[in-house]
Amino acid sequence: MNRFLVVFLSLLVSSVFAYIDEYANLGEQASSIKVSGKVFHESPSIIRKMHPELLRHKRNKTLRKGIRTNEYSLKGCVSCHVNKNKINNQYYSVDKKGQFCSDCHKKVGVSFDCFSCHRTVPRESLL
Amino acid sequence: MNKTLNRRDFIKIMNATTTGVAIVASGITLTTFASVNEIPVTNKKRWGLLIDTNKLTETDIDGMVNACQQEQGWGTETHSTASQKPGWIKKLKVKDKATNKVSNLALMCQHCEEPPCVDVCPTNASMKREDGIVLVDKHLCIGCRYCMMACPYDARSFVHETLNNQKEHMPRGKGTVEACTMCVHKIDKGETPACVESVNSEAVIFGNLYDESSQINQTLKIIQSSQIRSDLNLNTGVRYSGI
Ligand code: SF4
Ligand code: SF4
Repeated sequence: MNRFLVVFLSLLVSSVFAYIDEYANLGEQASSIKVSGKVFHESPSIIRKMHPELLRHKRNKTLRKGIRTNEYSLKGCVSCHVNKNKINNQYYSVDKKGQFCSDCHKKVGVSFDCFSCHRTVPRESLL
Repeated sequence: MNKTLNRRDFIKIMNATTTGVAIVASGITLTTFASVNEIPVTNKKRWGLLIDTNKLTETDIDGMVNACQQEQGWGTETHSTASQKPGWIKKLKVKDKATNKVSNLALMCQHCEEPPCVDVCPTNASMKREDGIVLVDKHLCIGCRYCMMACPYDARSFVHETLNNQKEHMPRGKGTVEACTMCVHKIDKGETPACVESVNSEAVIFGNLYDESSQINQTLKIIQSSQIRSDLNLNTGVRYSGI
């Protein structure tokens, strides 16, 4: 019985670590902001739950009313959560496997198509 | 004379400096807020273009098409056939059959006041902003292409292939319709459309049609100009002179 308990607990613990490892890819800038202790979003739980609504609200305001603030802009999300390939100095697309957006979407099993139209790496001039 | 500061003087000076900094800082904050557009566009303005076909050379038109492609990122579609490729501005030759006079036209979305594309769109994706700019909301577009059929100017094109590396300000994607946006992203920053910037002469004038002091308004008052297919009563935002 005890042996089963040990196996069960170690499985549990290892799955928690696997979870942390696999989904820790926040993106370079976002990671350094997190390390510095600054809080950018309201709270991770709100932004996790609400980001589609926040983006939808912003997209309507921008496109239809010409209100071009940076708050909740997809450009902002991309430039903060993107990673760079250190060898060739090129950005990885945020929607590619192992990157911030796709990893989380994959975990929760929700597909997304923002990036069939929107640019997946920051502005040309930043490259 | 060397004056040593006592503690009281030092505090006084420091206070004055901090106040100064605070004032400057708040001034900066105010201007940064004012420079981003937080106020929705209104119908107090109507953006328009005036194209003088007598002054506009063929090279000018090529330059305009090029500038548009660079700015908005269309034209590099590799898998589309010639008739599938997007064309936001077209170079047209029109010939007066009686006199054989040939004029070169740059034809883009005419930003109609009564746009047929908006009338027929089943999803509200085709839309007109308050300031007269006609756009496609690609979040809503289902790619039915009714608007392309309804547009009398053949101004819209359909994206036939998967794209990447779009411009940051101009999301574009397969299965949606697109057309000239009058460089709305630049206008909202107080800038001029890329095609207008590319022409060195006064052949293309951009501005607010309602503003009495704008160059476009004043020029339209004194010269003969026309709307293409004015018989359709669409009241286009793009006007032509010299044809
Ligand atoms: S020119 Fe065509 S696409 Fe542009 S507003 Fe008029 S009908 Fe719509
Ligand atoms: S193609 Fe898109 S924008 Fe055009 S009518 Fe259909 S839904 Fe509307």
